[in-house]
Amino acid sequence: MGPKPEDILSGFQVNWMNLRDADTGVVLWQGTEDLSLPDKEHEAKVPKKILKCRAVSREINFSSVEPMEKLRLQQKVLFKGRCLEEWYFEFGFVIPNSTNTWQSLIEAAPESQMMPANVLNGNIVIETNFYDDDLLISSSKVRLYYV
Amino acid sequence: MLQGLLSMLKRLRSSPDKELRILLLGLDNAGKTTLMKKLASEDVSHITPTQGFNIKSVQADGMKLNVWDIGGQRKIRPYWRNYFEFTDILIYVVDSADRKRVDETGFELNELLNDDKLLGVPVLVYANKQDLALAAKASEIAQELNLHLIRDRPWQIQACSGIRGEGIKEGLEWISQNVKKK
Repeated sequence: MGPKPEDILSGFQVNWMNLRDADTGVVLWQGTEDLSLPDKEHEAKVPKKILKCRAVSREINFSSVEPMEKLRLQQKVLFKGRCLEEWYFEFGFVIPNSTNTWQSLIEAAPESQMMPANVLNGNIVIETNFYDDDLLISSSKVRLYYV
Repeated sequence: MLQGLLSMLKRLRSSPDKELRILLLGLDNAGKTTLMKKLASEDVSHITPTQGFNIKSVQADGMKLNVWDIGGQRKIRPYWRNYFEFTDILIYVVDSADRKRVDETGFELNELLNDDKLLGVPVLVYANKQDLALAAKASEIAQELNLHLIRDRPWQIQACSGIRGEGIKEGLEWISQNVKKK
């Protein structure tokens, strides 16, 4: 028998997230507040130049006290609530007392299709949900402001 | 470099709609996470022992590449098996200057090569830390690990320095040529 759902939930934490210019590896934004607090929408002030990057990576770091068999993640990029991009990722097994990272790299849309910073500003939300099989473990929302 | 590998793989494949899984293993302090970071052009000056996994996913034109780096500490090694399934390429990283643990790294590699879940999976050995004065040559490492006895899969040894970013690309080129067509 695996650990109880309440133990999985209480032992799970999102430690940080960041955004990088994928060509240089330079971190453009990093959030270190506990992003797994579900009721709060977090804010990220990201330099405008991120929109000029050819490729951007998003990285998330999380810890779990309990082992899990079927961890998976669903990450959506929403513009005014509409989904622009969606990732599913199956981690599968999670080691007890582990700290783990997942980084996804995407190439930007061609510049002609890119919306300008003033249109995107405050209207983009990155929503990340973690599930162990069907159990929702953590949900976090980060709203992006381009400064 | 990861994006480069993905485009090399794309060129070689007839059906582009595919996920590819690379598993990076080796003893603790072999330099797996440094290699991972170099693959993504990241700073390698503050790396701590991995207490779980680090994954990098790259996607382009419907093709996905996932690289899994799993911690190499003794207490974590029993969990490695949980990550074997669906592996297309195994990268085994060796600290070429860690002369005291040659037997230990050889033992762990053998366990991997004898595991049913990794049957036939091509293996690339990085003889890492070639920048260190005491580093053994790749040919010596190959001998010590008995790589010449491997018959059931393609294998390659590649000298590299994760810190300096040397030799990594050559290994990736071998990977792109040795991924099984499915």
